[in-house]
Amino acid sequence: MGAIFRDPVLFATVLGANLPFFTMAVILIFTRHNPRLSSQLSVGSIAVSAVCAISLLAKLFFAPALQYQTLWFVSGKLNIVFGYYLDPLSLLMLTIVGIIACLVQIYSLGYMAGDPGYSRYYAFQSLFAWAMMNMVIAGSMLQLFIFWEMVGLASYFLIGFYYEKWSASQAGKKAFVMNRVGDVGFFLGLILLLLGFGNLGIPELNHAASTHGLSQGLLTASALLIFCGVIGKSAQFPLLTWLPDAMEGPTPVSALLHSATMVAAGVYMFSRIFPFFSGSHDAMQFALVIGTVTMLLSSSMAMVTYDLKQVWAYSTVSQLGYMVMALASGGYFAGVFHLTTHAGFKALLFLCSGIFIHEFHTNDMRIIGKQGGRKLKIPMVCITVGALALAGVFPFSGFFSKEAILSVLAAQPNKIWFAAGLFGAVLTAYYSFRLIFHILLPMGGIEEKHHHDDHGGSSHEHEEEHHGYIFWAMAIPVMILAGVSLVLGFAEHPLEHFIMRSVNVPGELAAHGGAALQTVAHVAAEGAGHAHESGSPMLLILGVSAGLLGIFVAWLEYGRKGASRKGFLSHVPAIWKLFDLRWFMDVFYRKGLDTFMYAGLTSLFTLNDRRIIDGGIDGICIFTEGSGRLFSFLQSGMLQFNLLLMVLCAGAAVLYFVI
Amino acid sequence: MTDFMLFLPELFFILGALLFFIFSLRKTPNPAGYHRWAVVLAAAGLLVTVASSHQEGMLFFNCYRVDLFSQVFKVLMALGTIWVIFSSGELKGIDTRQHAEYYFLIFVCTLAMMMLVSSVELLTIYVSIELSSYSLYLLVPMRRGEERYFECGIKYFMIGVTASGLMLFGISLLFGVGHTTYVPQLIKVLPTVISQPAAIVGLVLALAGFFFKLAVFPFHIWAPDVYQGACNQVTTYIATVSKMAAAAMIIRFAGISGGASPAMIKLLIVLSIASMTFGNLVALIQKDIKRLLAYSSIAHAGYILIGILTLNSQGYAAAMYYAAAYLIMNYSVFMVIMKVADDGHNLQIKELAGLHKRSPLLAMTLMLGLFGLAGIPPTAGFTGKFLVFAAALGKGYLYLVIIGMVNATISLYYYLIVFKAAYLLKPVKEYPPVRVDFWTQFMSFALVIMSIYLGVFPDRFLSLTEAAARSLF
Repeated sequence: MGAIFRDPVLFATVLGANLPFFTMAVILIFTRHNPRLSSQLSVGSIAVSAVCAISLLAKLFFAPALQYQTLWFVSGKLNIVFGYYLDPLSLLMLTIVGIIACLVQIYSLGYMAGDPGYSRYYAFQSLFAWAMMNMVIAGSMLQLFIFWEMVGLASYFLIGFYYEKWSASQAGKKAFVMNRVGDVGFFLGLILLLLGFGNLGIPELNHAASTHGLSQGLLTASALLIFCGVIGKSAQFPLLTWLPDAMEGPTPVSALLHSATMVAAGVYMFSRIFPFFSGSHDAMQFALVIGTVTMLLSSSMAMVTYDLKQVWAYSTVSQLGYMVMALASGGYFAGVFHLTTHAGFKALLFLCSGIFIHEFHTNDMRIIGKQGGRKLKIPMVCITVGALALAGVFPFSGFFSKEAILSVLAAQPNKIWFAAGLFGAVLTAYYSFRLIFHILLPMGGIEEKHHHDDHGGSSHEHEEEHHGYIFWAMAIPVMILAGVSLVLGFAEHPLEHFIMRSVNVPGELAAHGGAALQTVAHVAAEGAGHAHESGSPMLLILGVSAGLLGIFVAWLEYGRKGASRKGFLSHVPAIWKLFDLRWFMDVFYRKGLDTFMYAGLTSLFTLNDRRIIDGGIDGICIFTEGSGRLFSFLQSGMLQFNLLLMVLCAGAAVLYFVI
Repeated sequence: MTDFMLFLPELFFILGALLFFIFSLRKTPNPAGYHRWAVVLAAAGLLVTVASSHQEGMLFFNCYRVDLFSQVFKVLMALGTIWVIFSSGELKGIDTRQHAEYYFLIFVCTLAMMMLVSSVELLTIYVSIELSSYSLYLLVPMRRGEERYFECGIKYFMIGVTASGLMLFGISLLFGVGHTTYVPQLIKVLPTVISQPAAIVGLVLALAGFFFKLAVFPFHIWAPDVYQGACNQVTTYIATVSKMAAAAMIIRFAGISGGASPAMIKLLIVLSIASMTFGNLVALIQKDIKRLLAYSSIAHAGYILIGILTLNSQGYAAAMYYAAAYLIMNYSVFMVIMKVADDGHNLQIKELAGLHKRSPLLAMTLMLGLFGLAGIPPTAGFTGKFLVFAAALGKGYLYLVIIGMVNATISLYYYLIVFKAAYLLKPVKEYPPVRVDFWTQFMSFALVIMSIYLGVFPDRFLSLTEAAARSLF
């Protein structure tokens, strides 16, 4: 215990990661009925956490990876340890989580103001922050898995935050169940790994998987199973439909959990044991296919919906697909860097959308546009910054990370992945600017009847003070994030040096993995490092033009004067419907559930429960009570009979001994 | 003089009995005054017993042994006595003219039981057990009201006398085989002759008297009628204090065989299983709470036997712990019954409906008591069952433990019925409010704390019982 106070690094880690948990407990037990105090406690503790995370990053920026661990329990010859692993990747992620969680909680002060579940909201936010931070710095896969599930729990609570709404509680359930499907695979993979490898420590896994050489079959099987966890958590194909539904939660929750941090946990886990994954070529190829399919499918869905949050939800899925693609083709830094930039600009996009939604009480981009969305200047500017970053336009952060990914993909022998990546970039730019133009340049101009018309975002001083406080609580985090999106891209080099420091065994990796294996440092050096500076100008041109092409098409259809504002897809209703109904994935799942689960398994289990289990227990009860009644006849009121019984029993005992 | 210091607790209770004997000669009864006197005397008696709890020595030509084993049980009995007397403030079940006699008999009975646990001479034992039995034979029919209460008394007497007869026969057989009535000598002699049927038959029949007191199957038949027929306070006394003495004596006697007779262990196992199963099964269908508790006490006698039949000091310590836990839990339940039925009638389970509204504190006490009897952690009842089962497992009686556990599960059902009545059922008619005075509140808290403390931190008391068990031989 004393060690915690002696070592400032450990102290900051423990304090930062666990303070939110105590906040949650205090809120749930003591301050539930005082929303103001609850929110102050929560924001205060997450601010402390963020400060801890930043100072840890600063302090350990040049230090080697640190590991703290303590024996948790021993089972047989298996030692289960509990500890923290602070290396560049986890420090970076810890900082991202800390800062964005802090900003989102500040934002929520405004967004959630007056909500009856205000204290509950902050309690769950704290729960999430605690679980996520502990997951990020977990020292072993088992610990990571535990907090992985905790994060899922927090997500479930927050998606179903408006639990009185049927769709919200359904969405929470859907997210939970779909994640469970993935997590079963994840857990099986961990067990397989434990049996085959005997250790779940993250440093050991990253090191020994490449040096000791497990059998390729075991490696691939466990990697594929563990990848199931990524599929579930990061909403990859085929488990991607829970994420759009998860938008039922409050918008800040969507920003924090369902775009910036929690869903990125899958990608984070992928990169966490990246050297392990890269030991299996087949698993990496599988991940590449999954990432690509996910990216294209969800981009197509984003092209047809009018719901603000749905667009960003699909976009999140597709960007996660991008990250998986990058990682799966060996671009360790490209994936992690895109995760970082994406966390910033996607949180920005969601929070801006949240301001619109809060103001106009609708999610429909057409109505927001008509009612004068563009008059809210601060969010309008910020959402455009976010969209530019998402579309990959220089100098916004998305440009740098997308270029890094594209260059990694271009280095692949098969150019189809690169083509898919470029195509995805076009789609991304198209759907994000479709949204921007809908709000910025609505069809038929702005209707003048909306009561908010005369106070735009910049003229808030006319509002009463309460409204001003609410608006600025939301606007300031948004502006900070916009600023981050502007400058983060230029931090690529220091970040790259920082991140790549931990992966420094290229020779061994290459030797072991064979020719097919892309070595981490190698690819990063050749791909991300050189591509858009001195590398291939061709790549740069292709990447930039893909983004601009998408924006241009969007402008043609939605932006310019006299545009139809319908989209080219509306000419083919079948495809529109296909995209709109998410490629019939939900229909397919529903059918599968109905025919196999409900009609088949569930009814069998129900039958078993009713007939065999319940019936059996009823039978036991009836038997027990019946024998009670039977025995009670022994207890008749007749004294003679009683005495006879007693003496007979004693006599029987005596006989037993004599004979 | 030091000899009399050893006998101090007993002397004190003799004094109390004498005082109430004098009171009983007065023409005008003064129930409230008697109660105050009784409480003060019993409290002082408890203090005296506790104070002399670490004394050791022999008295009366070595036929009376004061050791840790006997003193622990004496403390438990003094504790039970003060509790019962404490709850006798509104002794509506007994005619006011007989209150002095009631207290007199309680004191005499406690005295007899204290002598019983210290006796190491078969004749002293017999005299003590008869003294305590006769006090109870008088206490049971003392209840005023209907004729059938008399009938219970007669039944109790008849069955008790039969058991005494069996016991005397057993004692005479033991004397015939061992040529002594002195228990320490019997312990030496008996294991060498245990192969003779006469010796083992004598031992088993001698045990019959204590089985009768503990209500072990098949000597249990008095229990339901007497529990129901005696007034609530007397039932409480029988269910708590007299069980202590019986458990103590079975421990002392079972040890005489020295574990040399597998047949006797088998017999004890059969009795234990029969008691548990019979008690629990029949308790399932009871409506009257005292009758239910009578069957429950039969089942608990079975659990205590599990600890005893291991015939080692671990098992004895577990059985002693169980007995103490049983005293606390059972008294918790009975105290609530006496308080809720303070006019002295026989409480039906359904009358407990809505108790948690009428008196949350009593409902909690009842809940803890029931949970303890059912063996739910963290109460002392759970730890007791755990220790007893652990002792039996140590000897390899796995099937016995399994049967015990199945029985514990069955018992949960009827304890929960009572619990459900107190907490979940709505009363069908308006019941008079329950009056809870300061001392009852104090007792409730004390019982709850004792039950949980013993359950969570059993170490200190357990080391005491282990020391006591070692002092047996």
